[in-house]
Amino acid sequence: MSAHKTQEQLIVEKHIKTIHAGYNKRADGFFPPSPAMGDFRWTADLIISTYYQAEHGHPPENGLEYRVGKSEGGFDVLDINFLPEDQWTPEEVEIDLSIPLNKRGVGQEIEIPIPIYGGGMSYGSISEQVMQARAKAAQKWKTFFSTGEGGYPSSLVPYKDHIITQVATGMFGVREETIKHARIVEFKYAQGAKPGLGGHLLGDKATSTVAELRESVPWVSLFSPFPFHSVYSVEDHRKHVDWIKTTNPTALVSVKVSTPTDVDMVAVGSYYAGANIVHLDGSYGGTGAAPEIAKKNIAMPIEFAVPKVHKYLASENIRDEVTVMASGGVRTAYDIAKIIALGADGVVMGTSELVALGCTRCSNCERGRGCTYGLTTTDPLLSQFVEPDWGAERISKLYASFALQLKDILRKLGLKNIRELRGRKDLLRYIGNNAKRV
Amino acid sequence: MNQINFTRYHIKTKSAPDIEKWPTRFNVQVGKIELAMFLIKEVLHYGPFKHQVILSRPCIYGVFSGPIGGFAPRPQHCVGCLRCTTEFPEYITVSPNPDRRKLGDSYFTSNFVDTLSYEVEEGSIPVKGAGYRGKFGGEGWDGMWTDMSEIVRPTRDGIHGREFISTSIDIGYRPNFLTFDDAGQPVGATPNVVSIPLPMLFDVASPSMANAELWKSAALAMNEIGSLAVIPLDGVIQHGLHGDHVVPLVNAGDEEKLASLPSPRLIQLNGWNEALYDFLSQKFPDTLISLRLPFSTSEELLEYAKKGIHVFHFFADFHGRNPEDQFVLELIRETHAVFVKAGIREEVTLLGSGGMIAAEHMPKAILCGLDAIALDTPLVVALQGKFDGECADREKSRFTFPKKLNSKWGKQRLMNLAASWRDQLLEISGAMGIRETRRMRGEMGRAMLMSTLEAEAFDGVVGYERA
Repeated sequence: MSAHKTQEQLIVEKHIKTIHAGYNKRADGFFPPSPAMGDFRWTADLIISTYYQAEHGHPPENGLEYRVGKSEGGFDVLDINFLPEDQWTPEEVEIDLSIPLNKRGVGQEIEIPIPIYGGGMSYGSISEQVMQARAKAAQKWKTFFSTGEGGYPSSLVPYKDHIITQVATGMFGVREETIKHARIVEFKYAQGAKPGLGGHLLGDKATSTVAELRESVPWVSLFSPFPFHSVYSVEDHRKHVDWIKTTNPTALVSVKVSTPTDVDMVAVGSYYAGANIVHLDGSYGGTGAAPEIAKKNIAMPIEFAVPKVHKYLASENIRDEVTVMASGGVRTAYDIAKIIALGADGVVMGTSELVALGCTRCSNCERGRGCTYGLTTTDPLLSQFVEPDWGAERISKLYASFALQLKDILRKLGLKNIRELRGRKDLLRYIGNNAKRV
Repeated sequence: MNQINFTRYHIKTKSAPDIEKWPTRFNVQVGKIELAMFLIKEVLHYGPFKHQVILSRPCIYGVFSGPIGGFAPRPQHCVGCLRCTTEFPEYITVSPNPDRRKLGDSYFTSNFVDTLSYEVEEGSIPVKGAGYRGKFGGEGWDGMWTDMSEIVRPTRDGIHGREFISTSIDIGYRPNFLTFDDAGQPVGATPNVVSIPLPMLFDVASPSMANAELWKSAALAMNEIGSLAVIPLDGVIQHGLHGDHVVPLVNAGDEEKLASLPSPRLIQLNGWNEALYDFLSQKFPDTLISLRLPFSTSEELLEYAKKGIHVFHFFADFHGRNPEDQFVLELIRETHAVFVKAGIREEVTLLGSGGMIAAEHMPKAILCGLDAIALDTPLVVALQGKFDGECADREKSRFTFPKKLNSKWGKQRLMNLAASWRDQLLEISGAMGIRETRRMRGEMGRAMLMSTLEAEAFDGVVGYERA
């Protein structure tokens, strides 16, 4: 058979086989995690257990820690305050994980069956194959994923009912038809990985195809300015919303913002400007290249922003009219439950999906040809390492595992519905840095 | 037509690779017998003519691209992507190099050393993918975040070099108001300042940092950058380093040595000494005199200000602690508050050293109340100095510098450091919507402290009590 294939095809096949097998060798416990793998936020156990969930569709039972990292703060010092067993929701009761994305009472009603959708990662920052994998997984789970700011490859059109079109400051790839395709349009004001700094696609990644979609010059670095140069106020933002509504009257509007001191005011302003979804992107997430100084130091972590916003929206009596989605360091099913208990309606995931596809979080996304696993790259050879169907299956199984765990968590909290968990800080327990988990 | 002489401030960066080989970040070990067996298996599988397939390596960074591939891996190229060990866990192991981890000490950890090494080699901002990797927060600088704005920018010209943010600051005396006589001429105190283009000085005056090449590098770099280097008077005289960008540090008993020193723009008194202060005031009437002291909240500070000291250079130890174990972040805030409460903060300049070892510490220290930071141990690391054990003590710490250390190379490394940190200051300022570093000083409203945020966010969580 191999005689009919080119050497390049054989090389791709060879490495796909060994890379995919390699994920499982670690996940299934045949080899311990590499000593060079992991960090405080994403420990080696978390990375490997995500591989495991992406392969098997349920959490590992081989001792891998799949719930928390070792960052000594935020999610990692909170635990779920489970009830005694006699107060659990009975097994025969179906647990509902669905959340509405439009709570305004007017316009299109959209409900997603799990409180998760995929965050914006642009074409160029990730490969088209990875985008297709995410689109297929979103379709399978009847949820969504965001294009990020880089356009809308035509291969995604069959999945348009599950794709959020992002409109960001550079307007790359924003066209009338991509606005019309979308059931949800997302304005990206800022992103957690580099709050206040705009986007940056390195020249090496701006291939001819990427440049064509972005209507730019190949191999030239692309900067998304910060902020929207047409927005000076909430009123200006309202004009943006009107523009979208004129182009696509039925689209829901999501506003993606970062987490400044006055994030609560930003959320209220977004609501009054017409947003259906306020998407808070905390400072510890992000998948793209960002200045190191921005990641740790600018804007607050999502664990602190969500309760602040939840409380303020409630005090304004508008909490039940807007959906709050949280992202930026949400890694596991337990993180999802915790951030909802802190006040979010649902979460937006990015890094976990990439880890499901094999990301080791080595942070070399921007270097040379891009990701050596074919994720954050536009290199023609490397990007073949992620086959869309294989990738979709991995992401789907990760979602399946998260859904399984969320139902288990809700059951042990005596709840029947993920919506009942929102803002229930009393169902969380502070364990500090050294306390034992229950 | 009037000629416009404006030129944008710019520090000339140039790649300045290490002059001494440092331990690689990762060790790469390959089981050679297993590799040989694997290759034989590949030959049998693909046949001898598919050599490109057989020799295709699981590394795009060149670790296995030497003449004999994986039999002699090149760990200096390893970036820790782990693809090789993912594909072939049976016979390839990648592990952090323990020797690399030994660089620095418990405060200036190897992660800080890595970041600084990149900055001084390239002169640019470290950029990486995949989000934040460190601890959530913690004590000191790690428990503080800076604000950002969703829509406010310093200007609307965009970022990345096109918008104008001023990083210059003034060192010296600025009266709260001016008084004029009947003829409209100013009477009484008038401003007397030295302007520097970025809020960063070099402080190589501690006894443990006594090294001629370090002093020369600092002086030469500051001559290019346009800021100031604090150097012991003996070093200045012995190596002829005097100039506009050198601040001699003088002690009691140095009066005779000062006889031949040309008048500096700024001179520094090592601890309060009234007689020496009077001597310096008479000898150098146009020179600003600064006072070097440990961080303090003593009322004596106000007395010094009354006597004419308007530039204070406070220091903690190299780990940012004072003898009472208070951290420099709090020390700065308290010291700043002393002058604010007395209503003379605008009349004085506060400089600080100790424990400021990363680019983000500069804006954070300024938000806490400093006008500028004066770098110490980062300069040692920039010049590939190695720490001998724990290096907190300003007098007893021991640093070993490369034998090939020379001031030409050192100058460029320090210029790269200043350029990288200034660019990062611009990023932080831009995100905050602040167009002048001067306006950042003491703006704690634009800082977020973990203790406050956590207390608000976790209020109501079972078992959480505000610390």
